[in-house]
Amino acid sequence: MRTIEIFLAAAILFVAFAVAAYFAILPSPRLVSSPNLRELALSTLETFDANGELSRTVFTNPSDPSWASLQIALTSSLPPNVVYNLSVYDIVTSPTGVVTYSLVRSISDSQSDLGAGSDSSSKVVTSSNVTFTVNPQKIGENIGKNITLYILNCNDANGWWITGYTAQSLASDLYKLLSPYFQRTVLVNSTSQLGTILDNTALQGERLQDAVVINTFGEAVPIPAGYYTTQGYDGSSYAKYAYILGQRVNTYNWTWVSIVGYPLYYVTNTVTFAGSQNSWGIYGMIDVGPAGLNAFLRGLDSQSYSYNNNWITGSPGVVQFTWNASYYSNYYGIYPSPYQTSTRALPTSILSTYHLSVPTNSYIFRVVNNWIAGATFNHKGSDDKIHGSLTAIGLTRIPDIRITALGLLQHYRPTIYKSEFGASGTSKLVVLQLAQQGGV
Amino acid sequence: MAGITIDHLVALTLLLTVLMLSIGAYSQIIGAAIIQQQNHHIAMKAYDLANAIFLNPGYPLDWGQGNSTPSAFGLQDPDIGGYSLSPFSLQKLLSTQAQVYYYKTGLWYSNNSLGGGGSLLVPVSSCVNYTTAAKLLGVNGSYGFQLVIAPTLNVSISEVNLNPLRLKVGVRGPGLALSGATLKYFLYHAVPKGGQYPSIEVFSGTGQTDSTGSAVLEFSSVDGSQNAYSIVVYASLGGLSGVGYRSRQTLTDNQIIPFVEDLENRIVLLAHSWDVHQFPPPVAALHFNATFFLLTQDFGLREIQLSESAGLVRSGKVNYGEGFPYYRLQIPIEGEGILVVAYRWGNNYGIVMMPWGVSALGFSVTFGGDPSSADWVATEIRQMTVNKISYQVKLAVWSTKGYQHWGYKH
Repeated sequence: MRTIEIFLAAAILFVAFAVAAYFAILPSPRLVSSPNLRELALSTLETFDANGELSRTVFTNPSDPSWASLQIALTSSLPPNVVYNLSVYDIVTSPTGVVTYSLVRSISDSQSDLGAGSDSSSKVVTSSNVTFTVNPQKIGENIGKNITLYILNCNDANGWWITGYTAQSLASDLYKLLSPYFQRTVLVNSTSQLGTILDNTALQGERLQDAVVINTFGEAVPIPAGYYTTQGYDGSSYAKYAYILGQRVNTYNWTWVSIVGYPLYYVTNTVTFAGSQNSWGIYGMIDVGPAGLNAFLRGLDSQSYSYNNNWITGSPGVVQFTWNASYYSNYYGIYPSPYQTSTRALPTSILSTYHLSVPTNSYIFRVVNNWIAGATFNHKGSDDKIHGSLTAIGLTRIPDIRITALGLLQHYRPTIYKSEFGASGTSKLVVLQLAQQGGV
Repeated sequence: MAGITIDHLVALTLLLTVLMLSIGAYSQIIGAAIIQQQNHHIAMKAYDLANAIFLNPGYPLDWGQGNSTPSAFGLQDPDIGGYSLSPFSLQKLLSTQAQVYYYKTGLWYSNNSLGGGGSLLVPVSSCVNYTTAAKLLGVNGSYGFQLVIAPTLNVSISEVNLNPLRLKVGVRGPGLALSGATLKYFLYHAVPKGGQYPSIEVFSGTGQTDSTGSAVLEFSSVDGSQNAYSIVVYASLGGLSGVGYRSRQTLTDNQIIPFVEDLENRIVLLAHSWDVHQFPPPVAALHFNATFFLLTQDFGLREIQLSESAGLVRSGKVNYGEGFPYYRLQIPIEGEGILVVAYRWGNNYGIVMMPWGVSALGFSVTFGGDPSSADWVATEIRQMTVNKISYQVKLAVWSTKGYQHWGYKH
């Protein structure tokens, strides 16, 4: 009787074992120990495209001999027991935005499907003939204002602290860098044209209000003859011209840009001041000194004119990009050195003295010991609205105009619209499928 | 009564037998599952290590071009990124080949030489050894690994005829001969210059392999049986590139052996072979002339003059034994290339080439431990480039901890 019971118990145990063995499916040893075919496929695609060879081939006609070369190279490079199938798909985007993949060509060294044990990797390659374009948003477009960019390019003025360049060459480079971001870019080719816009008259029908004016003459500023040389002279100094400039910047809500050094330190007009020099031997230029910037700030802040020749800038030495500057440097693809030397940085005290403020994104360099080496200062009027701005790059000579461009762009932050990477005809999808032959 | 006793005895015996069988059977299932799990874990570790080694340049980024030990280990080329390895980091890996001792410096050298006129000897003290790499990768004491980095293409060169010199070039991959491959070749011929110093004549050209992956190169003005020559052939097709070389010399025992002295300052010293491997007479002093050829983007070799100042030379006379110091020369620029040293003793000539960066001559590197005694080894295979030369890299990983108490083997 006990023997029969044991037989029954044994039967139950064997059934339990059979059930356990049935459900406990172990992976085959090959699944554990086989080469990582996915990584092998990916590294093969990457190395074949290292010199652009794969991209060139897949964009050729399917009957082109380079396909045969690719096939030979693939067969030669893979281990003998690995078979492959390389498929190339065209990426087609319909007008409604639906993306489909259509097979262009497939090459293989296997007679049949590679089977369930295969693995694959893919890579999107781009035609070398395709140029990806970027379309920047025009500054002011988002607030309904067509902001004009004026670049001073006066042929009757001299520059200072722009050693190695001329104002005209800097104007040309700035035009190339910044004109895509503005609705209109106007080169101000003479001091008389500068006088015209200061008198609130457009040169080419452009919008004058809210404009950006870049002074490419370094520490000197062109001065138009006539009204501005008479009214801008207080009897002993042309600091009053800087004061009038400040007033105009306030009235027209301009952004005045100084690209290097001490802003408005000299006035320049090679005709009117033909016999005068700036004490350094540059003729057509008269020394104003620190009074120029002080007067400009008073004009900007609608204070009364007074002559003040106190030096207000400082030398913090080596200064470093802010996080914002680094970010926008990447965003706009403008790469000046993030470390610069500043010897004409403005003090933070001017913020309260002249009702200025600097938006966080407008600091180009980190503030060092209360010195602001590069930033855009907004002037706020009694109505709490912005009435004029000053972008001052207080670096030592010689100027790097990319910093000026970066400073303006990070202040206005126009959006960059990039062309779509996967646009029809520009990219193809390449899939490499690998499988092992033989074995389990 | 006796019947009941027998019934109990039989039942008990059967019960114990069935229990033993059951425990054994379940143990098989559980043991196999544990081993599979452990092996799977090693395979995953191999994948992780491959990514850590091949897709990371280490730190400092240019540790392959300095004399210091990196603080993070990785072989990716920092200038290119992606699936490319630094030829200089590979040069600093301590080879598994037998080391070479040079008594005049008192140093042992890691030997990556392939023979056949190609030599690469780097001071062991400047190399990264297996233990250091394992520690930096965080696997020391838990996993062993071995790296085999070898060119994907085998470019072989054999002599068909010596005068005029005709050479047969064969290009093969692991899977097939490479037909239709474009060849770019450079032949360096050591010739008399006047006086006792040799000069180097350069012949270069292009060719293409036929359907069998072969091509014959002919040099009508070169007598291969005279003097010495070295040839370097670059082959490329459809994104796949390889390099091969061959040398022939009339000097056998008396040779010049270049040793890397300072990786950071690119200083190489030239030694007489008698001071490294002593051999029977005759032994002679050797006059040499050295040139550096920079490897360009399109597999060209551009000659760069070596400087001669502050104890650096580009030609001289190397003697053997006590009292005769070695000579120093400097690789002129940081790029990858080949140092070619032609030397002469009377009418006997020789040439030795040293790659600056392993891929210039298609040298392979084997680095790490020995997997032959491991229970189970996981392998990762990847295709990479080293300065545009195609390489296949194999990473073998195994566990160094005792395991498999269960299982099939014990």
